Amino acid sequence: MTLSLEIKKLKRTGYFPAFIGAGFIASAFPVINMLARAQTFTALSGDPLTILMDANWQMMAMINILICVCGSCIMYHTEYADNGLQKMDVLPVRSGALFITKFVITALILAIIIVMETAVLAGCALHWFPGRGLSLWELLKTAGFQWLITLPTVMMMLVIASAWKNMWISLGIGVILVFALSILPQDLLILNLCPFSSPYQTYAMAVQNDRVSLFLILCPVETPGLGLLEMFYQKIRRCVQ
Amino acid sequence: MSFLSLTTVELKKIRRSWIMLILLIPVVIMWIPSVIYGDMNFDTRGIPITPENNFFIQGFMGMVWFMIPATLVIGTVLLTQTERSNNGILKMLSLPVSTAKLCLTKFMVLILLSFVQMVMTVAAYYICAAIASSMLDYNFFLEPLYVFRVALSIYAGAIPTAAVFWMIAILIHTPVFAAGIGLASIVPSVLLINTKIWFAYPMSYPFYLLMVEYGRCADGIYTSEIDWLPWLPTAVLITVLALGIACIRFGSVQKR
Repeated sequence: MTLSLEIKKLKRTGYFPAFIGAGFIASAFPVINMLARAQTFTALSGDPLTILMDANWQMMAMINILICVCGSCIMYHTEYADNGLQKMDVLPVRSGALFITKFVITALILAIIIVMETAVLAGCALHWFPGRGLSLWELLKTAGFQWLITLPTVMMMLVIASAWKNMWISLGIGVILVFALSILPQDLLILNLCPFSSPYQTYAMAVQNDRVSLFLILCPVETPGLGLLEMFYQKIRRCVQ
Repeated sequence: MSFLSLTTVELKKIRRSWIMLILLIPVVIMWIPSVIYGDMNFDTRGIPITPENNFFIQGFMGMVWFMIPATLVIGTVLLTQTERSNNGILKMLSLPVSTAKLCLTKFMVLILLSFVQMVMTVAAYYICAAIASSMLDYNFFLEPLYVFRVALSIYAGAIPTAAVFWMIAILIHTPVFAAGIGLASIVPSVLLINTKIWFAYPMSYPFYLLMVEYGRCADGIYTSEIDWLPWLPTAVLITVLALGIACIRFGSVQKR
């Protein structure tokens, strides 16, 4: 019940079109890049998907993170704008469930745009690298991996968005985090595992460094961990308010 | 009401918005890696640049390409959203003040905020240069006049960017779209800076100006001369056009 309710709330905020639009913008990167400099990439040897991911994923991941930041902010902005959250508090709905459904919605729409982006990457690989081989299994693994390592970021951003009533503060903190983790050196493993930094990893890079299992274990731990933090925070806030 | 008193009113409105803290944090964060990895400035990888210039340019790099436009986006969200709660904007619009003037004062506040950030950035630069100098026993200080000139030119280059973001924030009433378009438009500036049409893309102006400065400090990295001719008229045109549209459309949704 809460899930359909949450989706209804988001109907007129432009949330879903914004995500799909971001998916299109992110998907445009590999296409434009290949149209402009096809020679540079086709000359490289190796797996076409890896070449394309190396060339474009940094920017595509950044778009994904930014839309998650905006999306989370708007989700809680609609709640806070006209004291909606206070009204929700008196309904027979658990406030924790509210948060979880918000997370589920973001995770699902994120999955859709990541599949979209992977499909476009696959299309580019087929068009510009004919006969170089592309396995469906590899594609699915890539999409799944990218989705999984983006989830801690989504969770953390929702925690931040739920904590501040004013949208610009949560947006500001989100943007600062994106900025901070993009300027810190990328070769430190501990930083790579942090939310806001892990989405930049690519599957091929993780395979090369033998870190796939590390990411596959830690990211699904981080996500509910941050969720627990939110539950704690809600408990504390209820006492303070 | 005069322009000045309107601006002071606008500044009062955002007094308790925590925006100064949000402006300050990235400024501090951006210099931390520069200080920690201060010795990297001596390893110039064959680029003919002095360590002190390297310290200055590398420190500004992340700030200029991402954080300056991003703070402008946050500023537009702040300026549009503070008044939407409790319909404050309706009360403002019912006052005998021209809406265009109101729109321009809000834009002035946006510019003022980025100017405050510039001053903070320069101050943070000197503090960090002092720390790095004492840590590594090397003088990282650059002339204040030079530092201020570069910082000022970068932030002046951000004015057309601000105008475009302001127009987007006014035209698109849904905050998720306005902020999303703003933030998404920053990302491709890295690619566009190396194409011939960079001058038509306002989000890349601050980055371009820093790259030119980089080109001046280190030969062959980038062009060392600013291409004034296609750029200046385009930038002025974009700014005037964006502000014009913003002034015309300001408050039109509420006035319906």
